[in-house]
Amino acid sequence: MDERRAEAAAAAAMGRHDGHPRPASIPSGDGSVWADVSPLLEAACADLQEGELIHGDNFNLFAAMSALEIMDPKMDSGMVCRYYSVDEAIENGAAPVPISFDKTVDVQCTIDIMDHLLACEGTWHKGHSLAQTVFSCIYLLRPERTSSHALLHSYCRIIRATCKAVVSVVSDARTHEEEDLFTMSYGLPLIGEDEKCLSMLNAVEETIARQLRACKAPSSGRKVIEDLEPLQNNPALEEGYCKAILCRLRFRKHFYHVLMCLKRPQGRGLQLARKHISSCLSELEIIRKSTEVLRSNDYGTHNSGEDKTTASGRQPVGFDASINTRLSAPTPPRSIKILSWSEAVDYFVKLLHDLDIICSFSLDASLEGILQFMVQFQKSHPDLVSRAHLQTLLIQDGKLYGRDSIFAVITKAAGLPEILRNHDIQNGECLVQLGQLVINLLKILSTNAAWQRRKLGKILQDWRVIHIQLELPFRQEMGEESGLSADQSGRQDILRQILVWVEEQTFWIASRFLMLGFELELYSPGEYCMVYWYIYVVLIKLAERMHHKMSFTNATEPAKTRGKKKKGSTKDTSRDIQMPASVLFLQSYICLAEGLTMMLAALRNERMLSQSPSPFNSDHERFIQHFELLQKAGVPDHISYQSFEESTKNVRFSTLVMYNYFKDAQRIAKEVKNSFPNDPDRQSELRRVEQVAEHNSIALTVLCRLGSLDPSLKVSFDFSHHPYFATAVVKRS
Amino acid sequence: MEAATSGAEEVEEEKKAEFDASEIEYASYGGEHHLPLIMSLVDQELSEPYSIFTYRYFVYLWPQLSFLAFHKGKCVGTVVCKMGEHRSTYRGYIAMLVVIKPYRGKGIATELVSRSISVMRESGCEEVTLEAEVTNKGALALYGRLGFIRAKRLFRYYLNGVDAFRLKLLFPQPELHPSLVMMANDDASQRHPANRPLEEIPEEQERF
Repeated sequence: MDERRAEAAAAAAMGRHDGHPRPASIPSGDGSVWADVSPLLEAACADLQEGELIHGDNFNLFAAMSALEIMDPKMDSGMVCRYYSVDEAIENGAAPVPISFDKTVDVQCTIDIMDHLLACEGTWHKGHSLAQTVFSCIYLLRPERTSSHALLHSYCRIIRATCKAVVSVVSDARTHEEEDLFTMSYGLPLIGEDEKCLSMLNAVEETIARQLRACKAPSSGRKVIEDLEPLQNNPALEEGYCKAILCRLRFRKHFYHVLMCLKRPQGRGLQLARKHISSCLSELEIIRKSTEVLRSNDYGTHNSGEDKTTASGRQPVGFDASINTRLSAPTPPRSIKILSWSEAVDYFVKLLHDLDIICSFSLDASLEGILQFMVQFQKSHPDLVSRAHLQTLLIQDGKLYGRDSIFAVITKAAGLPEILRNHDIQNGECLVQLGQLVINLLKILSTNAAWQRRKLGKILQDWRVIHIQLELPFRQEMGEESGLSADQSGRQDILRQILVWVEEQTFWIASRFLMLGFELELYSPGEYCMVYWYIYVVLIKLAERMHHKMSFTNATEPAKTRGKKKKGSTKDTSRDIQMPASVLFLQSYICLAEGLTMMLAALRNERMLSQSPSPFNSDHERFIQHFELLQKAGVPDHISYQSFEESTKNVRFSTLVMYNYFKDAQRIAKEVKNSFPNDPDRQSELRRVEQVAEHNSIALTVLCRLGSLDPSLKVSFDFSHHPYFATAVVKRS
Repeated sequence: MEAATSGAEEVEEEKKAEFDASEIEYASYGGEHHLPLIMSLVDQELSEPYSIFTYRYFVYLWPQLSFLAFHKGKCVGTVVCKMGEHRSTYRGYIAMLVVIKPYRGKGIATELVSRSISVMRESGCEEVTLEAEVTNKGALALYGRLGFIRAKRLFRYYLNGVDAFRLKLLFPQPELHPSLVMMANDDASQRHPANRPLEEIPEEQERF
C-alpha cells in the first residue's frame, strides 16, 4: 500500500470527523478493496454476549483451550498478585541489602535464603519452571544489587552459574522432551559470569574459615588475628553460624565442580567428579546436622513443621513466587509446591548417588553391558538431571563416550573379530542408519519410563526396516554363492552376523517395551495372561538369536585362541556345548512368563477370576491395542490373537498339574547364579526370580489340588517379589 | 482431559444422597440453558481450568455426544465429548466426566459415558480415547469395566503435576469379523456427519 492510499484508508476510517460522506470502500489495487469495519464491529459488539464466540472453520480445540480468561486466578498467569514488577518489589523493601543492619539477623536471614534456594533448586529439578522456583528469589534477579554483600553475592553467583550448567546439559541431552518446562529460562539473568564465581566463593569461604578459627582460638591467641571482624555480633552463636555457612558454601563449590568434571569430554573428569561427589555428600550431612543449631538459635517465633523450606523453620526474606509468572509460557500457572528442606536435602543426596553410579560405570563396557547398566540404573527412578548426564556421557559427537565409532561398537556387540571393525562396509547407507538407530536407542533409554516406552514402541518399526534392508542381499544372492570372491563372501559374513544381532536387538527392545508396561501400570489383571504370553513369545525369540550369535562367535573366535594356547582347549570345547549363562538367565524369565500365562489361562478358563465381559469390545480388541506396535513391526512374525487363543484356550488345572513351569524357573535361577559370581545386580535379580517362582509354584499346587472344587478360593496377583513378574496370592474368602 | 467420578467399589465416606437409580433422568445436551449447568459442575469438580470457549467448542460441535443426569430437577452429572479424524482413524474423545460426590458409586457415570460411547460407535468411530489422572482409581476402574485399556502413561500431564493415563477403547473391527463387513459398507456413507471440519489435534497439543 502506498502512502497516499494509506492516508485515504485512514481518512475513511475516521470519516466522521471531516464532514465528507464516507466512501463505502477503497480499491486496494489487486481486485480487493479496503472497507470500513467500524459499523460491523459496532453491530457485533451489541450482538455478542460475554463468553460467546464466533465460530470460524479453523477454530479447533487447541485454539479454544489457548483462550485464557483474564483475571481468573486459575488461568491468568499475568494476574498481579502482589507486585507489578521486580523493581516495585524492591522499592517496597521485599529484598533489602543488607537484609538487616543487625549483623546476627543478617547472617540468619542469609542462611535461610541459602536453604530456601536449595529447596527451590530441588523443586526445579523435579520438573517445575526455573522462573517460578529458583528465580522466585529477588536477589537472583538483580545480580548487581547484592555486590556490597559478599556472602549473599557469591552465593547468588554460584547458584546462577550452577543453574546455567544444568540447563545446558539437559538441553544438550534432550532427555527433557516430556519435561519441557525445565530448560525454559528466557528473561532470567543466567548469562555469563561463570569464570569468576568460584574465585569469589573461595575468597568468602576463606574469610569465614578464618572467622571460625578466630572464635575457636583461646583468647590469648586472638591477638594475632585481631584485625579480623567476627561474622556477626553474638559470640555465643559465632561458631555455629560460621560452620553452618561454611558447609553450605562448600557444598555449592563441590557441586559446581561435579558439574564441570562431568562436562569434560570422553569421561575424563569422572574420577575427579567422584571425589567432589563424596565431598558434596559429606557437606550435605553437615548441613543436615546444622539444623539443630539453627533452630535453637532462633530469634523469633516459628513452627518447625514438616513442610518448612529452611533448616531454621523460618520464612526466608526476598522471595516472591508470583513475581515471574509472566515469564513462564503462555499457559495457565502451574501450582507449585516447593520441596521441604529435608526433602530437598534428600533429593540432592539421591541425585549425587545417581551421579556417582554413572561415574563409577566402566568406560570399556560392551554395548550389551551398557544397555543392561541403563536398565538397572533406571530401576531406581533417577531424576532428569542425572539421566541427562548419563546420556551426554554416553554419546558425544556421535560416538560412544565421544571415543568409539558406533560401527566398532556394533561389530563388537555382534561378536565380530576386531580386525573387521574398520571395514569399509561401515560407510554403506544401511550401516550408517543402523548406527543412528543405536545412538537413538541409547538416548531413549535415558528418558523417563513413560516417554521411554512410547519411543521404544515407535522405533521397533525402524529396526524392522533395517533388518529387511540387511536381509535383502541374502535373499537375492541365494544360489549364486559359489561365484563370490573372497572379499564379497567376507562382506557377507559380516552382514549375516550383524543381521542376527539386529534381530536380537529388536527382540530386546520389544521385551523392554512390554516389561515397562508393568512399571507404568498399564496392564490390568484381566490382561496379564495375554501380556505374559507375548513376553514369553518375544523372550523365546530373543534367546534363540542370542544363542545363534554366540554359537557363531564361539565358532570363529575360540578358533584363534585355541591356536594360541592349545593346552586349555579341552575346557573350551566343554563350554561350547553348554548353554551360555546369559541365555540360561533368559530361560528363567521364559519359564516364569510361560508359567504365569498358563496359570492365568487356567484361572480364566475355569472361571476363577471375577471378570465380567465388557459391553463394547472383547479381549481380541485389547490384544490388538496393547500389541499394535509390535504387530505392525512383525515382532515376532506370524503372531496374532488367534495364536494366543490357540495356545491358552484349553488350559486347565488338570493339565497343568502334569508340568510345573515355575519349578523349572526356580531350578534354572539357582543354577545360573554361579555363573555371575561378580555381578551383584544379576544375583539379586535371580533371587527375585527364584522367589516369584517359589511362591507361584506353591500357589499352583494349591490351585491344582483344590481349585475348581473350592469356590471360596480367591486368587489375586501382586508385584511384591518382582516388578514385572506377578506373584499369585491364594486366599480363602 | 479429566473425570471426577468414582468406581462402584469405592465407598464414599461423605454423606450419600438417598435415591433410587430409576429416579435419575438422563438428557442429551439440549441447548444454551444446559451450558451453565455443565460449566458449574466441571468447575467445581475438576482440577484443570477451562475457559467458556472450551465448553462451547464441544457442545456446539457435538451436542449429540454430551449428556446430563438430573435428580429431581437438579443436575448431578455430565459428560462432554467430541469426535473426529485423528491420524487416519475416526475417533471419539471423552473430554470431561463429572458426577457430584453424593451421587457417586451408583452407576450414573457409567450410564453417561455408555450413552456417549454408543453414539460414537453408531457414528462410525473406530475407537474412543480419553485421559485420566493415574490417581483417579474410580475413573480408571469405571473405564476398565467398559473395556478401555491403558495405552500410555503421560508424564506430568496435568497442571497439578500428576501423570495421566491415555485410555483407549477399540470397537470390534469389521475386517476381523467378515460377517460385519457388509454392514460396515452400508454405513460408510453416513460416517462423517455433516460437512463439519473435523480437525486433527496432535496429541502433544492436547496438553496445556
